[in-house]
Amino acid sequence: MIELKNVTKKYGGFTAVDNISFKIEEGEIVGLLGPNGAGKSTTMNMITGFIQPTEGQILINDVDALKKPKKAKKNIGYMPESTPLYMDLTPKEFLKYMAELKMVPKKERKQNVMDVIQKTGLEEVQNKIIKNLSRGYKQRVSLAGSLVGNPKVLILDEPTVGLDPKQITEIRSMIKTLGKEHTIILSSHILSEVSQICEKVIIINKGKIVAIDSPENLENKVEEGNSVLVVVEDLDNKIMSMKEVIPAIQEIKLMKDLEDGTKQYMISCNTDTDIRKSIFEEFAKAGITIFELKKAEATLEDAFMKLISQKEETVEEIVAKPVKKEKAKKKKEKKEEEK
Amino acid sequence: MWAIIKKEVKSYFLSPIGYIFIGLFLAMCSIFFYIDIIGYGSTNFEYLFYSVSTILTFVVPILTMRMFAEERKSGTEQLLITSPRSITSIVLGKFISAVIIVLITELFTFLYFGILLYFGQPQLVTALVTMFGFLLLAMAYISFGMFASSLTENQIIAGVITIGFFILTWFIPSLSQTLAPFSLINMFDKFPSGVIALDELVTYISFTVLFIVLTIIVLQRRKTVK
Repeated sequence: MIELKNVTKKYGGFTAVDNISFKIEEGEIVGLLGPNGAGKSTTMNMITGFIQPTEGQILINDVDALKKPKKAKKNIGYMPESTPLYMDLTPKEFLKYMAELKMVPKKERKQNVMDVIQKTGLEEVQNKIIKNLSRGYKQRVSLAGSLVGNPKVLILDEPTVGLDPKQITEIRSMIKTLGKEHTIILSSHILSEVSQICEKVIIINKGKIVAIDSPENLENKVEEGNSVLVVVEDLDNKIMSMKEVIPAIQEIKLMKDLEDGTKQYMISCNTDTDIRKSIFEEFAKAGITIFELKKAEATLEDAFMKLISQKEETVEEIVAKPVKKEKAKKKKEKKEEEK
Repeated sequence: MWAIIKKEVKSYFLSPIGYIFIGLFLAMCSIFFYIDIIGYGSTNFEYLFYSVSTILTFVVPILTMRMFAEERKSGTEQLLITSPRSITSIVLGKFISAVIIVLITELFTFLYFGILLYFGQPQLVTALVTMFGFLLLAMAYISFGMFASSLTENQIIAGVITIGFFILTWFIPSLSQTLAPFSLINMFDKFPSGVIALDELVTYISFTVLFIVLTIIVLQRRKTVK
């Protein structure tokens, strides 16, 4: 459906996107993930034809987007990051204009706009001027704009940015429903969002692809050791001494001091054995009441941070050793200052 | 292209710009009508346009400065450029819509023609030739204003570049005799005598085409540089 082959974008001497290649199949919902300035928007802008890559090839539905932009663009619905809209128009007028721009045949135009308004829940505000709408509604109008003409591919650049939690869940569920009919690429720097919506995640950092995988696999990849999360009521503060009772325990770390007098600890152990059983038994003997006991799962957050820092380390080692030394020096200085 | 023209003309009147342009232009027309025609007791409608052509320098930027600068600033150019429309049709659509606004304004000036009919017999053919020439001048001006607007995301800069350039063309004849024929405003002088001269016609049209093409090039290039 969408294929990028060795795509590079340079701005003068700066390489924003560096030799990226990936393929997205029909019907997939793919998350483009990365910190700010990683090249997410640049990649999306190249797919939509807003900017041209310096090198490489982009295929959309087997059409070369650089050689036949008109044909390729007809298959794409794009919701830009800043949700640009014509503020003087009403959502209905705006969508009608978008339908005309996207060459929706005259006969279908009205029906198409009505469908989109209904899909995105804009019925109530369709005749108000966009300028006066709330942020959430503006976002929806922008999403609606990308849906006009029923394109096969939807490209959503940070669709939930700046919304309140309720609006975020609304837009997310909307995107999920849309995923049944469209191939979707969405960018985000919110990891939980991506793991909720997407089937596949592409992580980019500094213009390069760090990983392409499913959210679950990425989580598994970074899962390390055998950690247990416990919530306990520990009146006599005996928990730290449990290290000696259960030798497998490597570290006990306080995570949260909860308001009801209980505390959450992360207990990591150095062997592969499941220590939950011994924790249960020994804690009870020591008079520590366990309220909650579960295996700690690595979150996508961890995966993300780990992958990105790994990549950075290797890159720096190869390219810029002196920089690293300087950094180390600075760190030392800082530590000394703190002392 | 039709879609773009329709939307652009509409948005001229959704924002105050369309009204300001037409209102300001007609207010100035009325002043000159009183000074140049009623004041001299003449019925030569076309004389009005000698003076009015200078006003174009100051009102055309009102129409053109926002054309691309505003879209770039608000980001809506992303919607335009990622639509299946070609850049050429976007540029032409915007250009034609501004020309339509000027045409609407010109139709209003027929009011003065009507007033003169009451007093005497103004020449219709000369009036039409003058208005045609005026439209050509306006088109040349609009194309330059549009070009200036495509260069920046700041409307004010676009407007100042436009006015500055037009004022510069006023003084071309005194600066250089070889460039004198390219003084857009001086070339207009022949039309009110009822003559459509080929060299004026060709200069106006080629100037217009040149800056439309330059606008297209600027926007195309931005895709690769941006």
